[in-house]
Amino acid sequence: MTTTNPSVITDEMRAIVGVEGAPATLEVERTNCRMFARSVGHADPIFYDVDAAKAAGYRDIVASPGFLGTPIFNPNRPPAGPAEMSGRGYSIPYKRVLNGGTEYEYFPENDVICAGDTITVRGKIAGFEETTGSIGPMLITKRETTYTNQDGKVVAKMYGTTIQY
Amino acid sequence: MSQVFFEDVAEGLEIPELKKNCSTQQLVLWAAGSGDFYQIHYDKDFAQGTGLPGLIVHGALKHAFLGQLVHDWMGPKGELRKFGCSYRGMDYPNEDIRCRGVVTKKYTENGKNFVELDIWTENPAGKKTSPGTATVALPSKN
Amino acid sequence: MAEVFEVTDEVKAQYGVEGPPWTYEATTTSIRMYARGIGSVDPIHYDVDFAKSQGFRSIVAPLGYIGTPTFHPDTNDGTFGFPRRAGGGARLNLPTKGLLDGGTETEYLDYICAGDMLVETSSLADVRVRGNMVFVTNEAVYKNQESGKVVAKQRLTSIHIG
Repeated sequence: MTTTNPSVITDEMRAIVGVEGAPATLEVERTNCRMFARSVGHADPIFYDVDAAKAAGYRDIVASPGFLGTPIFNPNRPPAGPAEMSGRGYSIPYKRVLNGGTEYEYFPENDVICAGDTITVRGKIAGFEETTGSIGPMLITKRETTYTNQDGKVVAKMYGTTIQY
Repeated sequence: MSQVFFEDVAEGLEIPELKKNCSTQQLVLWAAGSGDFYQIHYDKDFAQGTGLPGLIVHGALKHAFLGQLVHDWMGPKGELRKFGCSYRGMDYPNEDIRCRGVVTKKYTENGKNFVELDIWTENPAGKKTSPGTATVALPSKN
Repeated sequence: MAEVFEVTDEVKAQYGVEGPPWTYEATTTSIRMYARGIGSVDPIHYDVDFAKSQGFRSIVAPLGYIGTPTFHPDTNDGTFGFPRRAGGGARLNLPTKGLLDGGTETEYLDYICAGDMLVETSSLADVRVRGNMVFVTNEAVYKNQESGKVVAKQRLTSIHIG
């Protein structure tokens, strides 16, 4: 006998699909570009050396793959963590969370992220899906985040998948 | 760095492997580089307290390794369009992480030469711990 | 017991000899990270608008932070981040069993704010041996790259254990 699990997706959750959250600002600077590249183990000088980056046709040191800037940290502002983890004001009955994967899309025809850039990031929930796997019933949340530079050009999009079960 | 051209590439081509082996020091470097200071990546007692066997390598670091794999292969005139992976297994410090990729498709669209790849990290048991895909645009010899 | 290191005339001849310069950068993200590292909540280190309202060019580097040495994997130490370069006692054949920070004294002549690029030069100032420990003191001078003005002077002592 199979049992159908009741859906955990509520009208409240459906209503927020596609709704953009408050924008945040990310800073791309030479020091954090270098630190990111160093921590991955990159050897390409375009990630470290301004002259090498310019000689290769870039405005400044290039942000290496996966680096989209550092959020502006302020200890006097409440952290955004827990609210983001549980969603935006909705709660679901599952306790465990898995990162289902991350995909970045770049738009080099618009611009390449370089040191000196200020990136505005806007995120939204792209959709919810429910499925049952070996670990039981799961809620899959798809998020889409858009990264726009100081010239209003979309330089990257991030597609994230969160699995709760 | 040498340049790979669209004409050099065929479906099934395996790109040069990038081998990684994370010391705990590299995990701390990544914490600083990424801003992710979750203790399961540098505090063994904390990690074990959450039920893990020990420290684990950050998923996002493996994602960035795959970015390096593709960047180093595609050469200075290659354009990274898309790359991503999902996390299917844990990797541990001081164990080899083989970053690998295979060309799955090549096509020309709007005058650009695109190559799609399957990319993944592989643990010492041969399990693909972070399978994903990438799309790059490559220059043509013509 | 043989000394772990001998302060020869050759070593003393290096006192005061300036090594090649290196660039240090203070940026908004690096200043915030340092402030976070010491647990400061003062908005002068985090909030650009607030810092400007207090008369500064941008957020102010916390005491102790004189920028991050520009990093390149071919030229900088993978562990400490410092440039591997001649001068400043770099050529001394020091014991390598252990390494400890023996202290830092900083004299400030100006504020360091985000956006500043500093040029640092250093020289070996003193070497002393006590038991199995070698105390190596370097003196560093940091100048603002744009104005050429000296903004800080440091005496840094490292303890090399043999």
